[in-house]
Amino acid sequence: MKVLLQFFASLRLTVVLLALSMVLIFFGTLAQVETGIWKTQKDYFESVLAIWAYPEAWIAYDQLYWLRIPMPGGYLLGGMLLINLVAAHVTRFTLNAKKAGIFLIHIGLILLLISELLTDVLSEESQMPVDEGASSNYSQEYRDNELVLIDRMHADFDTVHSIPIALLKSGKTVAVPESPLTIRTVSYYPNAQIGRAQEGAAPVESPANQGVAVKMNVVVTPTAVTYAENQINTATAYVEVLGPEGSLGIWLVSNVIDDRFPPQMVTLGEQSWEIALRLKRHYYPFAVELVDFSHEKYPGTEIPFNYSSEVMVRHSDTSKNQKALIYMNHPLRYEGLTFYQASFANDDRTSIFQVVRNPGWILPYVSVLLMGVGMLVQFGMHFFKFLKKRATV
Amino acid sequence: MISRIYHHNFQRLPLILVGIAALYLSGCDQAQPVTYQIPKEQRADTIPPMAAATTSETSPPSKMNVLPGMQQAANAAGEVNFTTPEGWEKLAASGIRKANLKVTANTGSAEITILTFPGDVGGRLANINRWRGQVGLEAATAEDLPDFTTGYAISGHRGLYVRLEGQTQSILGALLPFHGSTWFVKMLGDTPTVLANEAAMKQFLDSIQLEDHAH
Repeated sequence: MKVLLQFFASLRLTVVLLALSMVLIFFGTLAQVETGIWKTQKDYFESVLAIWAYPEAWIAYDQLYWLRIPMPGGYLLGGMLLINLVAAHVTRFTLNAKKAGIFLIHIGLILLLISELLTDVLSEESQMPVDEGASSNYSQEYRDNELVLIDRMHADFDTVHSIPIALLKSGKTVAVPESPLTIRTVSYYPNAQIGRAQEGAAPVESPANQGVAVKMNVVVTPTAVTYAENQINTATAYVEVLGPEGSLGIWLVSNVIDDRFPPQMVTLGEQSWEIALRLKRHYYPFAVELVDFSHEKYPGTEIPFNYSSEVMVRHSDTSKNQKALIYMNHPLRYEGLTFYQASFANDDRTSIFQVVRNPGWILPYVSVLLMGVGMLVQFGMHFFKFLKKRATV
Repeated sequence: MISRIYHHNFQRLPLILVGIAALYLSGCDQAQPVTYQIPKEQRADTIPPMAAATTSETSPPSKMNVLPGMQQAANAAGEVNFTTPEGWEKLAASGIRKANLKVTANTGSAEITILTFPGDVGGRLANINRWRGQVGLEAATAEDLPDFTTGYAISGHRGLYVRLEGQTQSILGALLPFHGSTWFVKMLGDTPTVLANEAAMKQFLDSIQLEDHAH
């Protein structure tokens, strides 16, 4: 056991891990050109093992297409670095006044590594577009979709039954909680072309017998998933809705079949539900109203100078109402969420906020503070020792 | 004393490792269906452009299925200005039509529309054959094109003027590739009316000005 501890605490291990980190960052940067930042982050940094493949776009691809370089991924390296630092402290470092500075720096570093893991695991990002003069009480995910059945029969509220896309596996059934319905997935396509039948396309045969697919003769041609940042994957599925006595029909749902289309309705006796597939929504107990969005440019040019959104947040508990101005580097922190000015659309009439829930958001600030103080203490001590020595000469 | 501290710290290490492992695994829970209530939502009561075209009184119904994205693309395309020829009635531009006019005579009537789409929409031949189909003519090949098309300048750019004479219906139109999209100007109606308005159609085409950011 002692040998193991000594291995984990060794400085040689630190050097090896740091060198491997540089290699990982190098290949991750190369990979990002091909697969975009989101996928590269998942493949290289939120993983234990990453495998770099020779890119198609490079010269000599025909000779080197087989080249694969495996390397430890971000979680493995980060985890090992954390263990290495903690083990080194446990075995080699003793806390005394002289080493106080170094201890602070290392504790700050440990905290930073832990906070990165916490952010990966706990944080949620979504976007909230709001039109000027209108308000929104929900945000939506960038990539994740959900199948929803919405019961709008009640006079005072709507009931949303949401099924995560991950459960829509071909042939599998999912019970819809708090309703008499069950969903059976006929097929699911993470990205597809939807439209009328065209020559040259290879659409899937439509099993649908209800809704938009039938009324508008819409066909589906599956395509490859895109990881490009500004593109949305058209998640599409054929789902069968079953009542207690059997099938109620098969619908085509897709995240492009949205509010522009009449709602697709599932009916069982007196009850009816709107069925749809959409980017996953998070509803909040408050609504953000966009009072005014302004987009200032440098005078006489088209170069943007500032974007800012004046918002009024109305909570169901009116004591929490808040007015705020959101602009670059000045987000709104409200109810454990942070609203950043992300983008805008519709000729400056719609503002788009990035909504981040990250419970550990303060940790990096704390850790950097600790490291800063630690460095001041450590270098300060050396400095004063140096001055004293000079004074005595 | 040093060895006692050593043992004490050593015992903590596995605990720290377990703590870190637990944090990591806590993120890996399988998503479950959920049910929740939200305040009453006003479903965006925007009637899809297709339905709007069929219920409006001023614009005749569109026979084309408007697919997702078409309306947005039409909205995003630039403005078009033109002079309405004498005797033509200007109708409201609606849905994906950037302009909509009508001419009636005792020989019949004809409708003139301006539309735009990103890209080349299948290419010149495919679009001309689509128009040919609309007036009951057989599909043509690329070699036949010069028989009923000529180059024509529209809004300072090179377009193609198309003259399709059918039995009962005819089309006089133009295709204009324009900075990554294609504009379609089409007069479709009863053959005598359409042919009688050929000069007016050319006047109309000459008067068209497209919003141009590229030059």
